[in-house]
Amino acid sequence: MPETPALAPAVRTNLVRLLRAAYPHPSFPDGPYERTADHILGQLDESLWHRIALTSGLESLDASAQRSRGTAFADLDDDAALALLRGIADAEFFAFIRGVTVVTLYNDHEVWDLLGYEGESYSKGGYLHRGFDDLDWLPSPRVEEYDGPERLVEVAPDDVPATTSTTGGR
Amino acid sequence: MAESIPELGNPIAHDEEVVVIVGSGAGGGTVAYELSQRGIPCVVLEAGPWLKPEDYENDEWAAFNQMAWLDNRTASGPYRVATDFPNLPAWIVKAVGGSTTHWSGATPRFRDYEFRTRSHYGVVEGANLLDWPITLADLAPYYDRAEKAIGSTHRHGRPALPANNNYKVFANGAEKVGYKFYATGPYGTNAEPYDGRPASIQDGFNFQGDKSTAKWSTAVREVPRAIATGRCELRPSSQAVQVTHDARGRADAVLYLDAEGNLHRQAAKVVCVAGNSIESPRLLLMSASSLHPDGLANSSGQVGRNYMRHTTGSVYARFDQPVRMYRGETMAGIIADEARLDTSRGFAGGYYMETLSLGPAFLAAFVEPGSWGPEFTEVMAAYESTAGLWIVGEDLPQESNRVTLNPALQDQWGLPAPDVHFEDHPNDVAMREHGYGRADMLYEAVGALGTHHTPPYPATHNLGTCRMSERPEDGVVDQWGQAHDVPGLYVSDGSVMTTGAAANPTLTIVALAIRQAEHIAEQLGTGA
Repeated sequence: MPETPALAPAVRTNLVRLLRAAYPHPSFPDGPYERTADHILGQLDESLWHRIALTSGLESLDASAQRSRGTAFADLDDDAALALLRGIADAEFFAFIRGVTVVTLYNDHEVWDLLGYEGESYSKGGYLHRGFDDLDWLPSPRVEEYDGPERLVEVAPDDVPATTSTTGGR
Repeated sequence: MAESIPELGNPIAHDEEVVVIVGSGAGGGTVAYELSQRGIPCVVLEAGPWLKPEDYENDEWAAFNQMAWLDNRTASGPYRVATDFPNLPAWIVKAVGGSTTHWSGATPRFRDYEFRTRSHYGVVEGANLLDWPITLADLAPYYDRAEKAIGSTHRHGRPALPANNNYKVFANGAEKVGYKFYATGPYGTNAEPYDGRPASIQDGFNFQGDKSTAKWSTAVREVPRAIATGRCELRPSSQAVQVTHDARGRADAVLYLDAEGNLHRQAAKVVCVAGNSIESPRLLLMSASSLHPDGLANSSGQVGRNYMRHTTGSVYARFDQPVRMYRGETMAGIIADEARLDTSRGFAGGYYMETLSLGPAFLAAFVEPGSWGPEFTEVMAAYESTAGLWIVGEDLPQESNRVTLNPALQDQWGLPAPDVHFEDHPNDVAMREHGYGRADMLYEAVGALGTHHTPPYPATHNLGTCRMSERPEDGVVDQWGQAHDVPGLYVSDGSVMTTGAAANPTLTIVALAIRQAEHIAEQLGTGA
């Protein structure tokens, strides 16, 4: 494999900023975004085209930010960064970033904790004794099938074929 | 002696004419079990590996990559899956047990009218409706046996599963909007120990395989029991390539590739194709011969056509208090009130609502594919306080919804990849919108802050591509699943469904397979 020049540090900084703007979770620390960014950057070695598209795409975001706001993309506030991204939503590099992010950021175990997801439970005996039914703001509902007087009408009277008799009649 | 039977069964010679079953899921696994119990030798060719419960990964992406059918496929047509997941028209399993490995477990029966949709719905423009050649009464005794095999809750003395958190929201909402016919089942997972398998520990993983084995699958019941008879040999990692016939046109062998790509021929007196509704027609189309130039068993031209995937959609509702929908049995909640025929609702056919939960990894990928920004993170941020349900209803068969061989793409063996072309019928769209609306009402009745309407996922229910018909010109197989025009060739999976009904299909596939196996055994017994 020929040597490829290392990415400029600004690439990672801008990418983390982009991820925070595109997937805003105020409660998330930087860690999950940084791990997602590193995962995206790790994939660039496998595709020269993605490397080119992502590098130039992030540069173009910087240039746009300078033009419109007189500042680097990484220094934009959330609303301004989001507005800029809306303008390039269909760009190939952004589609690539989103495709990787949606399966990476939300597969991050710190993110699971932050969202309140506990994941695997089999090794702990399942959730049977760990809250599978601990919702207490609604009454406990019936679990058996309905056995009251009403019967489900499978075919409405107007939908019974005129020429054939159906079960349930007479 | 049972102890002397090898793990994959007593070997059967390649030139011994036996029943060759392609696929080991709900249909193929059941046929193998029913025939081998009667002393009839079977070879089961399964494309995937034999994953054991201890192998299953309780992690959504890891499990997906472990067991999903990821061989090359394409989706085409105007439906959204073709845009969002162009190489994943269906989410089904490539492993021993087939898609019973990851099925959810809901086991409603089809309704009487659903076997006679042409009679009930009349002529619907664009739909290729046909009455089944059998009725509910024909299938009822086999439904009984299928429910006992599966151990469906609420049936034959099997107790109900308890209410989990997601069900509490679902059932309270149902009650508030006036629904009556809701329960935690019928559901194919043990609420108490049954049939040698334990009770559910509510571990929250279904679509990834059930490590506890509380959930029925052919991988934990039918396949090992078939092997234990000594008359069934399982050959995993065996990709069927062609079904062949003799000079008189009778099915006589299956050609298949082993894990190393070596081609083998297994002689057959009967062939049962049970590869799910994409692979089964693909195999028949790949089996074209001079007698069957358009594909084996395709003199009707219906092989691959009338592909159905159920009318589905999901609704995720946000609340101001925790739900933790992921804890417990994923789909142990069913509302049947809308599963009926009442065209005053604006569409023919009916639908169920069933509890559904995804973890954050899958919810992010599927809740609104392609979405990002604050409207997306609002949904994700509410994860802990979210309840979910699935709408699953009858979609109408259309001739142009179709599985074909893609001339531009091959699988890893160099075989043509299947293309799955699909477009919603206007009836499907109307039903889905009705379901979204009812689900909103249900959740708003118990205080939802907002709901999200999620579009259909890659299909888990794939049906209709080798449909059953009274007349040979209307379909591919007869009422027993035997090809109209190829003696000895049977289709044993959901492909045979003339129409799809509203119910989750697994129970009906098992019932049809039990009935078919009984017929095959009678035929072989009389030397026919």
